[in-house]
Amino acid sequence: MNQFIFESKHKTVTVGMMLVGVLCLILSYIMEPAALTAAGADGVVHNTHARFWTNFLHNSVFFTGISFISFFVITASVTAYAGWYVAFKRLWEAMGSFMIVGMVLLLVVAAANWLHINHLYHWAGDIEGDRILEGKSAFLNNYWYTFGTLIIIGIWYFFWRKMRSISLDEDENGTTAYEHHKTTRKWSAAFMPIAGFTSAAMIWQWVMSVDGHWYSTMFAWYSTASWFVSAISLTILLMIWLKSKGYYSEIHDEHMHDLGKFLFAFSIFWTYLWFSQYMLIWYANNGEETIYFRNRQDNFPILFYGNLIMNFALPFLILLRNDTKRKYGTLIFVSVLCLFGHWWDYFQMIKPGVMHTAQEYVNHAAGAAHEGGHHAAGFVSGFTLPGLIELGVFVGFLGLFFYVVLATLSKAALVPKNDPYLEESFHHHIGYGGGSEVHH
Amino acid sequence: MANSGKTKVLYGLYGDDEILLSAISEANKRHLDIMDVFTPFPVHGLDPLLGLEESRLHIAGFIYGALGTLTAFLGMSWIFTRDWPIIFGGKPYWSVPAFIPITFELTVLFASIGMVVTFYTICGLRPGVTNPTLDDRISDDKFCVAFDTTNSSEAEIDELKGYFSATGVEEVNTKWL
Repeated sequence: MNQFIFESKHKTVTVGMMLVGVLCLILSYIMEPAALTAAGADGVVHNTHARFWTNFLHNSVFFTGISFISFFVITASVTAYAGWYVAFKRLWEAMGSFMIVGMVLLLVVAAANWLHINHLYHWAGDIEGDRILEGKSAFLNNYWYTFGTLIIIGIWYFFWRKMRSISLDEDENGTTAYEHHKTTRKWSAAFMPIAGFTSAAMIWQWVMSVDGHWYSTMFAWYSTASWFVSAISLTILLMIWLKSKGYYSEIHDEHMHDLGKFLFAFSIFWTYLWFSQYMLIWYANNGEETIYFRNRQDNFPILFYGNLIMNFALPFLILLRNDTKRKYGTLIFVSVLCLFGHWWDYFQMIKPGVMHTAQEYVNHAAGAAHEGGHHAAGFVSGFTLPGLIELGVFVGFLGLFFYVVLATLSKAALVPKNDPYLEESFHHHIGYGGGSEVHH
Repeated sequence: MANSGKTKVLYGLYGDDEILLSAISEANKRHLDIMDVFTPFPVHGLDPLLGLEESRLHIAGFIYGALGTLTAFLGMSWIFTRDWPIIFGGKPYWSVPAFIPITFELTVLFASIGMVVTFYTICGLRPGVTNPTLDDRISDDKFCVAFDTTNSSEAEIDELKGYFSATGVEEVNTKWL
């Protein structure tokens, strides 16, 4: 079976997931935690709907990034003359198609910035007298945010369209002169530096600037690594699902082993970047910088330490062995863990900062005394830890992601034709003896 | 006796790794007891054919690594809190983040050196070891299947020679190692 059929059953399930997501988004709009509302002297209750907007931003950024990385991996592999992935490159192409949906989602956030209805970003509001934010206003402003989102994701999507059309045309008109592949190499090599710089700029805008007074030069790398692990996790899960339906019989244990190695290696890479960022800030001991971690360690300890357990300790120890990267059971377990773990990672990047901004805003609007600094607010549902509503929103966005990916996947043959590395991919073998697999 | 304590090896040289793999499958079918196989590069699929078990070297490596982790972390903890406490940059004596890079380095160092020493010991490699080779070309472009024929009868040797010629061998030689 070389043609994926997007059955009505799949549509029902993914649309059902989306409905759960919409319901939970509505609930998160209504159920703003009491700690983030304040009644003014005139009795008006001020509410920034921070729970709704953080959930929306969190999942939009997370899945846009997964989509971006899936496409980035293709360009990196083409540039590296890699062959092993070619048999299933259509899956990564399909995952990349979500970028355009991600652009729409993030433009909703941008529009809400202009209308001052989301209060996600301190810099998008009144910054008069705030010398740090005034100093950053050349970059942290609504024009940059909106046109950055529009143009930069637009460029990514343009490259994706280009590579996709070459890939599809190669199926039809590819020759042994491999002109398609040679063109692909040029587009890939051009995309990589563009992707590197532009993704960093947009991560600063979308995520890092929720803590507008804080910055870290490691942040873009660290959060991109988080996307990377999530993208590999979803690739493994989708691949195992597709194989269970009888598709992709060309993909065997050797390919899964390499995907498992990517999951293992990039989990460690993520940890390396996480630690480098933490260590530099801890060592320099500069109050403007340490407040970021102080707040998370003191007020969000489960988020902070859970992040390290789910995204480093467990994947490291489980995937250390050879055989766990080849067995579907352990691969599924670690992939689910890492996907959730990195979703959790983005949760802890976004929620504490926005919660602080929202508290300041409602207190200020209600005329309460300006407290300044971070203060312990106890348990705030939807912020201190992800609640059921947050999980529901996650499920909803996952449904949307699956819908878009499976729809794109159904539009082309699963295994490409005429790619020069196709045979190499079919015969991919990594030389693992396999322990008990003795053939006589 | 000139050859006491030595092994009489009958070996065949093949010109291609695919032919080598099919020759070994044939040897398995004929229940021939292969002494060893020599190839100029790692041949994919050879280990399962020869029934070689997965190396346990990595388990030793994990233990060495864990020893390195403990040595570094407990060592620094003792030095900086009990043995010779010094305040660096106003940090507490027991500054875990500062210990992590050295803990990582010692983990890698212990694991790598431990594995090298273990591997050399298992293989009997030490300074001054001479390594007899069957044929210099097995490190260049020939693939060698070797049988121990020290105690073999003429009939058994003929059977092996028959096997070699049936599997596309390029040449067959005997050598005392």
